[in-house]
Amino acid sequence: MTDDVRDRTGGCYCGAVRFTARDVPLTFGICHCETCRRWTGSALLGVTVPADNITWEGEDHIARHQSSSFAERAWCSTCGSNLFFRFTGGGAPVGGVELPVGVLDDASDMVVHNEIFIDHKPDAYAFVPNDRQVLTRAQCAEKFPLLDRG
Amino acid sequence: MGSTAGGCLCGAVRYTLARAPAEMDVCHCGMCRKHTGGLALGLMVPRDEVTWEGFEHVGLFRSSDWAERGFCRTCGSGLFYRTLGDGPGSDMISLGAGSLDDLDGVRLTTEIFVDFQPDGYAFAGDLKRMTQAEVEAAFGSEEDSA
Repeated sequence: MTDDVRDRTGGCYCGAVRFTARDVPLTFGICHCETCRRWTGSALLGVTVPADNITWEGEDHIARHQSSSFAERAWCSTCGSNLFFRFTGGGAPVGGVELPVGVLDDASDMVVHNEIFIDHKPDAYAFVPNDRQVLTRAQCAEKFPLLDRG
Repeated sequence: MGSTAGGCLCGAVRYTLARAPAEMDVCHCGMCRKHTGGLALGLMVPRDEVTWEGFEHVGLFRSSDWAERGFCRTCGSGLFYRTLGDGPGSDMISLGAGSLDDLDGVRLTTEIFVDFQPDGYAFAGDLKRMTQAEVEAAFGSEEDSA
């Protein structure tokens, strides 16, 4: 059920930053845009959680960078683990964060439900298809016109 | 051909390579999945073939007794994994594949630590797949390099 959610815990590699998150979906997406590709070194495997659902510990170890006009990215300043992507304004749906699934203590039951910016994915690799939704950048911009405003 | 240049998303750290890479691998181990946020795609290149600019912006984190991970301290981009000391692999560095400006001409060929791979996704193609035991048999366990 794509509506299934559960509470989860997580944190960075070194443990300086920890969190508890309420109602985390079982499904996550994959983003191949260049910003996500460079930030992760691969692609962003992200689960969307309302920011208010997350309680952080060790926030003084969280470093942030405004990676575009509408979003910031955060990581642990000690170990470098990517922590979250967050919409900050500019027409974006403020209020949610994308948690990379690797930060969760247990993501073993999670499944992919969409894959976006597929036309920006390098040809170097591909995931085995399933019934997930696959969107190009243009299709994403139809849903989020802010993408075309940069 | 693949690119010979790369760097982080903010541009503070850049590198050039002596040769364009042709292959990349993916490591499914829990440490790599934790640090990268889920997917550890690596370009394994000889260390002496990488020329860095802005290396003062690189944060280094000793992630285990045998290796460290590098990231940009300005934007958080994951940049590399490299072993410490003189043990197996000490002449190589694994660059985060997403840091290369253009991955045209590069192909994923190998998956390692497949016994730790999550069920939620899989890579397409006829890839070489190695378990932890097979990796250690082929390249030596890091414990051997103490």
